[in-house]
Amino acid sequence: MCVCVCLGARATEGLSPGSQESVVSKMNKDAQMRAAINQKLIETGERERLKELLRAKLIECGWKDQLKAHCKEVIKEKGLEHVTVDDLVAEITPKGRALVPDSVKKELLQRIRTFLAQHASL
Amino acid sequence: MKMEEMSLSGLDNSKLEAIAQEIYADLVEDSCLGFCFEVHRAVKCGYFFLDDTDPDSMKDFEIVDQPGLDIFGQVFNQWKSKECVCPNCSRSIAASRFAPHLEKCLGMGRNSSRIANRRIANSNNMNKSESDQEDNDDINDNDWSYGSEKKAKKRKSDKLWYLPFQNPNSPRRSKSLKHKNGFSVCTSASNTLPLLFSSSGELSNSDPFKYSNSTGISYETLGPEELRSLLTTQCGVISEHTKKMCTRSLRCPQHTDEQRRTVRIYFLGPSAVLPEVESSLDNDSFDMTDSQALISRLQWDGSSDLSPSDSGSSKTSENQGWGLGTNSSESRKTKKKKSHLSLVGTASGLGSNKKKKPKPPAPPTPSIYDDIN
Repeated sequence: MCVCVCLGARATEGLSPGSQESVVSKMNKDAQMRAAINQKLIETGERERLKELLRAKLIECGWKDQLKAHCKEVIKEKGLEHVTVDDLVAEITPKGRALVPDSVKKELLQRIRTFLAQHASL
Repeated sequence: MKMEEMSLSGLDNSKLEAIAQEIYADLVEDSCLGFCFEVHRAVKCGYFFLDDTDPDSMKDFEIVDQPGLDIFGQVFNQWKSKECVCPNCSRSIAASRFAPHLEKCLGMGRNSSRIANRRIANSNNMNKSESDQEDNDDINDNDWSYGSEKKAKKRKSDKLWYLPFQNPNSPRRSKSLKHKNGFSVCTSASNTLPLLFSSSGELSNSDPFKYSNSTGISYETLGPEELRSLLTTQCGVISEHTKKMCTRSLRCPQHTDEQRRTVRIYFLGPSAVLPEVESSLDNDSFDMTDSQALISRLQWDGSSDLSPSDSGSSKTSENQGWGLGTNSSESRKTKKKKSHLSLVGTASGLGSNKKKKPKPPAPPTPSIYDDIN
């Protein structure tokens, strides 16, 4: 649910404040559509399946170990006592995104596309 | 819902692709976030650096990747030539053969422990009667191959006994024949059969000397008290070749009750306690009549014939075959030559027990007279 909201928020963020009515309605429609897709993803359980697949693949390819090593550096830098979740997220997320192997990315995208195709054809 | 689906179908590919990318980025971010929470929790709980070790020890346990070595850097087929030292006999044995060796060496298992115990018992010069009892046990034991052990023992004793006399075997035979004729003159016709058997048995079978190191017990050295105790526990029949007493049990198949009785009468007088009294008290007492003696002799033959490799036992059967085949004609012949053969028998100074034999049965004297007449 929170993802839908955040997606929607992101969609609305993209809008320029001084846009026309039609654009706004179109964007609203777009956001609505995204929200609907996310709803569908969660309802069918596909999102959970994709998440599990991604986690397995990332552990398999050593992504987690790489990130862990990076984490250690960050934590040592900051000191064990002063580590916060926000710091970690800020430090780790860009690195994590970059470290995902292409093969994993491709596979995941393929699965998302097929899901979208299935539900677009309905 | 319907409206959304319609809008979905109306989307072009680029928009779908953008949505897919968005969903992917979302999922990756989720994973990252999950990982961050995990790490944060580990840090705060203090187990994040648990699997860390100092670099020195990490170097010690580095995985070795070289040809011919395993991952620990050891030559991996070094155990092939490993040898173990036996704690019992302190020989070094190949590791693959160690277990079977240990089984034999230490005497594990039923068979080997029996064999080992027997060996120990024999080396300690065990009490004769005890070993006799053990013999009976073992005969009843089907799952123990007592036969081979017995044979081996027999062969050993045969070697000990026969080797010096191997060549003059035939003279011995003829000598025993002479003795036999001498006895059969004096004893009744029924006594000839067991006597023939006994002499051939003495000649061939050295079992009576199995327990004492030389041969039997020489009765000359024994006091009256010792003699009495010996005769109440042992066979005691005196061998005509060794002039020693049989040390087997009262029911030894080598000698007949008749012979035992004669020996006891000779040593202890006519009032002596006959072994039959004691043997009848025993659990499996059997009346050793002549025919039974014959049967037991035959059975003994059969068991010894089982080992063709055993030269001693084959000799035994040969001798006994001779004794069996000729005994009837022998006894017939002796009846004719009784008078002078008896003279020879007494003059040649035979075993003193044999001299005693003629006394209990009366027939000899009348027969001599008959011949004279």
